[in-house]
Amino acid sequence: MTTPYTLVDWVLGDGAGWLARFIGAILVWAVPITGFVSFVGLLSIWLERKISAHIQCRLGPMEVGPHGALQTVADGVKLLAKEDIIPADADRILFAFAPMLAFAGTIVGFAVVPFGPGLIVADLDIGLFYLAAVGSLEAIGVIAAGWASNNKWSLFGSVRAATQVVSYEIPMGLAFVTIAALAGTLSMVGIVEQQQGWIANWFLFRNPFTWVAFIIYYIAALAECKRAPFDLPEAESELVSGFHTEYSGMRFAIFFLAEYAQMYVVSAVAAVLFLGGWYTGIAPLDAAIGGGTAGMVVGAGVIVTKSFLLVCVQMWLRWTLPRIRLDQMMYLCLKVLMPFGMLTLVGSTVWEHFLPSPAIVKDGGGWTGNTVMTGVVVAAIGTVALVAYVRSVIRATPSLRAASNS
Amino acid sequence: MNAPHTNSPEAAPTSDVRSEEMLLNMGPQHPSTHGVFRVVIRTDGEIVLDSESHVGYLHRCFEKHCESVSFLQSVLYTDRLDYLTSMGNNLAFSMAVERLYPDLKIPERAEHIRVICAELNRIASHLLAIGTYGMDIGAITPFLYCFRDREKILSIFESICGQRLNYNYVRPGGVAYDIDDSMIAAIKDFCGYFRPKAQEYDDLLSNNDIFVRRTANVGVLPKDLAISYGVTGPSLRGSGLKRDLRRDAPYSIYDRFKFDIPVGTGEKGTLGDCYDRYMVRVREMIESLKIVEQAVAQIPDGPFKSEQLKGKLRPPKGESFVRVENSRGELGFYVISDGKDVAARVKCRAPSFHNISLLSDISKGCMIADMVAIIGSLDIVMGEVDR
Amino acid sequence: MDWSTIMWWVMAAVTVIPAVMIVLSKDIVRLAFWLLASLTGVAGLYILLGADFLGFTQVLVYIGGIMVLILFGIMMTNRDAVLMRRGETTGGAMLTGVVIAAATALALLKVVKDTKWKEAAPVEMPATTARVGEALLTDYVLPFELVSVLLLIVLCGAAYIARRRPEET
Repeated sequence: MTTPYTLVDWVLGDGAGWLARFIGAILVWAVPITGFVSFVGLLSIWLERKISAHIQCRLGPMEVGPHGALQTVADGVKLLAKEDIIPADADRILFAFAPMLAFAGTIVGFAVVPFGPGLIVADLDIGLFYLAAVGSLEAIGVIAAGWASNNKWSLFGSVRAATQVVSYEIPMGLAFVTIAALAGTLSMVGIVEQQQGWIANWFLFRNPFTWVAFIIYYIAALAECKRAPFDLPEAESELVSGFHTEYSGMRFAIFFLAEYAQMYVVSAVAAVLFLGGWYTGIAPLDAAIGGGTAGMVVGAGVIVTKSFLLVCVQMWLRWTLPRIRLDQMMYLCLKVLMPFGMLTLVGSTVWEHFLPSPAIVKDGGGWTGNTVMTGVVVAAIGTVALVAYVRSVIRATPSLRAASNS
Repeated sequence: MNAPHTNSPEAAPTSDVRSEEMLLNMGPQHPSTHGVFRVVIRTDGEIVLDSESHVGYLHRCFEKHCESVSFLQSVLYTDRLDYLTSMGNNLAFSMAVERLYPDLKIPERAEHIRVICAELNRIASHLLAIGTYGMDIGAITPFLYCFRDREKILSIFESICGQRLNYNYVRPGGVAYDIDDSMIAAIKDFCGYFRPKAQEYDDLLSNNDIFVRRTANVGVLPKDLAISYGVTGPSLRGSGLKRDLRRDAPYSIYDRFKFDIPVGTGEKGTLGDCYDRYMVRVREMIESLKIVEQAVAQIPDGPFKSEQLKGKLRPPKGESFVRVENSRGELGFYVISDGKDVAARVKCRAPSFHNISLLSDISKGCMIADMVAIIGSLDIVMGEVDR
Repeated sequence: MDWSTIMWWVMAAVTVIPAVMIVLSKDIVRLAFWLLASLTGVAGLYILLGADFLGFTQVLVYIGGIMVLILFGIMMTNRDAVLMRRGETTGGAMLTGVVIAAATALALLKVVKDTKWKEAAPVEMPATTARVGEALLTDYVLPFELVSVLLLIVLCGAAYIARRRPEET
């Protein structure tokens, strides 16, 4: 099992004192990961600006650096230099503590997110469970922020955040369990290693139910990140700015960074659980790269790319969809995602019982009966959905409707 | 999600579990009150039990101003009423002044230019209404699409009168400047450009499932309630009443054009809900476009302002009342002249003021998010409410 | 002192100091956050004992679930009426509390002193998750299911009690 000390011991050699190992672990993991989080934040914010701009027929930041790449850095400097305002009637200690709690709650998630083969802080035996457990820590920071601000809009925002995060943990957990039942382990590395080989080995394509699990997970992850259409806790047009209405300067920046870091975490987890982690999905390619340093570098590139693609999908959704209402948010969780989550869990295990995936994992995989069946079912559902979509588009477009009638 | 929010007062506390009531000040500074509008909301959790509107933060004594400056200068102040439909305001006030003169003939060309400008301005205003409404619901992108198209109209206005927001273009007797062929070509270009864009708004917003679920069955405004509050414009037509002054009491040359009057149908929910009011605006843009196309096609040559009105205006003693169908409803001006160069009294009947007055009636029992949706669907401009 | 001893002291401090603060704090929201810290310390102690699954269950259930709900409840109650009552603890109540606490501490100390502790050799703890899962689905499947049913009943009951009766409206 990889622990935070695996890499440290490799660097320090055997027999190092506990203090040296402890400091070593901080230097090897905590510092680079904080740096990585900042990098993820900067990159995601820039991406968000550019993506939103291009979705909205704009250019976005263009002045600072090539295509405005350094705009976020400039904004960061501005936020650092801003006056630190604490409202007069705020709970000062809690107000200062809340952003730290939110940020810490997010960053602990990175402990079990692999960055590549062997590049994981701690391959906990209960990695997935750990993620589910720490997933709600950020919400506590948000709640504290809303309460400490002594502002009714902030309070509404934090109550919404509490409702949302606690509720969506359940469908998310069900999606976790679906994958854990297939993988037979909660370890993140263990889950990735089962998806080695061809793309058909990815858990997303393992059986038709994992598709549903992926969609459930992704929707729940959107809600956990408080991203549109689940941005109710900050709902700009309703709650002014929600829980961070009273925050400015660096404290606000920390909330902002925590949000983007969490977007990366949930996307990386989706990549690990469903999209084959650090494997490219092309068995000969993976074999050619092999292990060692090359595998580590390529693997890190693959998993970060997959994660950022999913982050971009989150942004795409945000700039496309309106916000749902509180009761609709609860409806979606309790009456749609949860029943489907249960169904997915049962369906997936039943499917595996009658059509078990053989031990294809280790030898690079192959196209088995299960894969074929999955493909057939998914293709059938996809075709039906596509036909339904095209029909609805034709129905909604007068010119197309006229053309199809004539 | 499918449980409709009924608006009857007895159904207000629908939730099974009650929490502490809270008094919430929405505005005067709030992103979704569309200006300095304040609503005091009594909430039970997120459910609005009761609300009370407070207006007046933007009061500028418009009517009193008009009693101390000349008629031409007053036109300038009308720009600032409903600042998104300045052309319509100019038109209404100018017509009110013109009606004080017994036998004044407005040149045909001027009438056509007035109609073109008023209808283009209606499109621009509805574009903003739709865009900001999308933002109220949480969709930010449609707003920028709307602004992209509104920009084209503003550019046309800029070439016509040099202004982009407060035009001061339609004046008693005609319009301030003539339009030339290049401007007519630009307007024709715009008509060709804009027609297919309506489909884009439908794809982005009108047919979006979340948007429909957020607006359908929300803020239902029954026809009789709308009538009793004096609601006019798209908000009234959203409740299913086919009333449009351009058709019912034609002014200027509106009786010469063919256009439809879209009304709410309750297609996605109940008749008179937020979605109906929204949809009426979307469809009205196309109808306005039809009017613009017809007016541009038949615009005659000739003078662009009446030769009868020259120098300082001193209308004969008398009074006049004119109402026009503005973007937000019926805008009325009542002008009394005692023969001097300033009006003795001016009264403005602003549609937004009447439209917002029923807010507390239709928002009982809704949620805070619905409150935002309702205010947005009534589409108020505070410059006009407070005057 | 080795690594785990230091961590034990840290976790003990994280558990006990907030616990004391819970008693002393008068602001109910602060109190809730002290409780949060204390529960985190307990989770840390579980993990130090090798019961990582239990430790993170503590985090998941108490911190992620119960604490959020407690805060939720506090926020939804009237701030002025409930939360701002300060200085209500009288001297007598304080004295009683101190006496009871001291007595309990004495009794616990005596138990700790009198117990003959066996010192076990530190062993590498095997993974617990699989064993917990197996135990729950084999030997303890009946209690496990019974607890599930009980929780379901509690859920229904809570929903029923919280519901306003139709005649009240």
